[in-house]
Amino acid sequence: MKETIKLVHGDGGKYTNELIQGIFYKYFNNSMLTTGIDAAIFPVTNCKMAFTTDSFVVKPLLFKGGDIGKLAVCGTINDLSVSGAKPLYLSSSFIIEEGFSIKTLELIVKSMANQCMQSGVRIITGDTKVVEKGSVDGIFINTAGVGIIENNFEIKPIEAGDKIIVSGNIGEHGTTIALERYNIKLKGNFKSDCDSVYEVINILKEYYPFIKIMKDPTRGGLATVLNEISNLSGLGAKLVEGSIPIEEDIAVVNEILGLDPLYMACEGRVVFVVKGEVAEEILDKIHRLEQCRDAKIIGTFIEESRGIVYMENIFGGKRILNMLEGEMLPRIC
Amino acid sequence: MSKEDLIIRLVNKIKSCKLQDFSIMEVCGTHTQSISKLGIRELFYPKINLISGPGCPVCVTSEGYIDVAIEILNRKNVIITTFGDLMKVKGSKENLIEEREKGKKINIVYSPLDAVKIAEENKDSQVVFLAVGFETTAPLIGLAIKKAKENNINNFSVLSNLKVMKPVLHKILKDENHKIQGIICPGHVAVIKGAEYFSFITEEYNIPAVVTGFESLDIISAIYFLIKQKNVNKKQFKNLYKTCVTSKGNLFANEIMKEVFLNNHCTWRGIGEIPNSGLYVNNKYQDFDALKKFNLTIKEESNDCCVCGEIILGKKFPDNCKFFGRECTPEAPVGPCMVSSEGTCSIYYKYRKVGKF
Repeated sequence: MKETIKLVHGDGGKYTNELIQGIFYKYFNNSMLTTGIDAAIFPVTNCKMAFTTDSFVVKPLLFKGGDIGKLAVCGTINDLSVSGAKPLYLSSSFIIEEGFSIKTLELIVKSMANQCMQSGVRIITGDTKVVEKGSVDGIFINTAGVGIIENNFEIKPIEAGDKIIVSGNIGEHGTTIALERYNIKLKGNFKSDCDSVYEVINILKEYYPFIKIMKDPTRGGLATVLNEISNLSGLGAKLVEGSIPIEEDIAVVNEILGLDPLYMACEGRVVFVVKGEVAEEILDKIHRLEQCRDAKIIGTFIEESRGIVYMENIFGGKRILNMLEGEMLPRIC
Repeated sequence: MSKEDLIIRLVNKIKSCKLQDFSIMEVCGTHTQSISKLGIRELFYPKINLISGPGCPVCVTSEGYIDVAIEILNRKNVIITTFGDLMKVKGSKENLIEEREKGKKINIVYSPLDAVKIAEENKDSQVVFLAVGFETTAPLIGLAIKKAKENNINNFSVLSNLKVMKPVLHKILKDENHKIQGIICPGHVAVIKGAEYFSFITEEYNIPAVVTGFESLDIISAIYFLIKQKNVNKKQFKNLYKTCVTSKGNLFANEIMKEVFLNNHCTWRGIGEIPNSGLYVNNKYQDFDALKKFNLTIKEESNDCCVCGEIILGKKFPDNCKFFGRECTPEAPVGPCMVSSEGTCSIYYKYRKVGKF
């Protein structure tokens, strides 16, 4: 096989097939995919299903804790998971820039396959397009996915007294990407939290009647997701400053860069809003998972301050957390 | 007593003071951010009115400067390098984000030395660094210029809009109608210039002033120090940030500034032209001055200005401005108080939208 992607890899002929057989089928290997027909066919039982799609354009393609491939699989798995669905099948479309290294492509595809195996999902259909140099930045991936809703999960109205739980340290993905993007050489424990969250949700199935909503705080981070939930509920959200789990290195780096971890994307965390009386129990339960060992109850929904998310510190100082507006730009002062 | 207990005790002491609308101005972007993050402004309002002075260099960058930067971008083979938050500041028509969307080459850097590196790596392009900042960033920019000269990196230049703090403070305090009763001095500038640089506030204007750090205890202690002097005739100046700020400052940094820059007048957005408040590349280093290299001058329109200048002085409120909430919003800011997300107008706008809590 050639070393770099050529336009002919996308023309549907011999080279496209070589790429499909040599890379995609090799790693995503499953009978639903490799029959090679125009659409994957799978059985549906009498159930509610969830369907989602997401595109991934992250730069750099490879980063500490993951890569665009792992992110593309986890992103769609997580969107299904927080909707209460068990993820089953994914599609995967690649738009690749002419001249892209086939070795890197293989690395990305392998990483996708690994994540699929770990999460018990299969990529059963896909597409590849190759575009002229300069038309995309290396590689863009779109994944779509379907899953089956388990235990009849549905979003329920949020009431005053409902607690907010975050499943782990926040801001790690966004900070790691910012460091690499701005080429900042800092020593420290920085790693994207990119991971599937299905496992976390899976162990909480028996609590679904008490879970009002689950969200993964990706773009815009924790603060933005809480604003979305607050708008939806019509209630205010009061957070306790010291309780928000942020790894110290991440906090310090954000301080230096003039960024804010509350607005940095997470790619392996869940925000739960749960009935107040079961919050501790749910927290205990997820603490048993390695990826949730830093999970915390961070706040409460309240009747006052409707539509506002704010954080209170030990001396009563309050800070309103608005939605992320526009691009987060590093501050100099 | 733990630090937390001490903070709570000080907060309670301040809250129990008999005060009404005691105006304290801070003049440092990082203080503004800290005060906002810690919720200190609302905590003491209306007893204490914390005003954000012109302490964010990006916010006071003039329209004419952004226009010149965009003009340079229109030349062939130019890469603009800039600090991130300058991207959203509007010139008379557009900002740099809009220029980037058109495909212009703009790189966000954290250090001017990175800009020199980009110049080294892109010999066929002219690399221009947009130098905004106060005495805090000026030494590093001076160092970048020196390094470029030493290494003959001739495709590097600096478009300077650097400013110094003292003249603007004089302008504010000379105004007979200002309502400022205490000043939290810019902490970062004090690190470079030394605490003594700001003692004139108390000596010449008899206004209490304090140099302090950025943690909750630092800021609350500073506020306490200032309000305690309410009924004292002879006001005091104090450096509470001795771990970082000496009385004379960083001599090496000051030497670099002297070596590379000269003072001249400069326009501050929303405030106007202030004599000797700008730092420009001097003749010795003129090959690295983007204005000379591209043969340009910064032209400031005599614009029908907003009232930011008076808001900063504590004389007016955002509602008194004809642009507020109409032509001037956080998405399309006119004056510095709206450009900064923590500026008085931006905060007013936010609260007006969501209602007070």
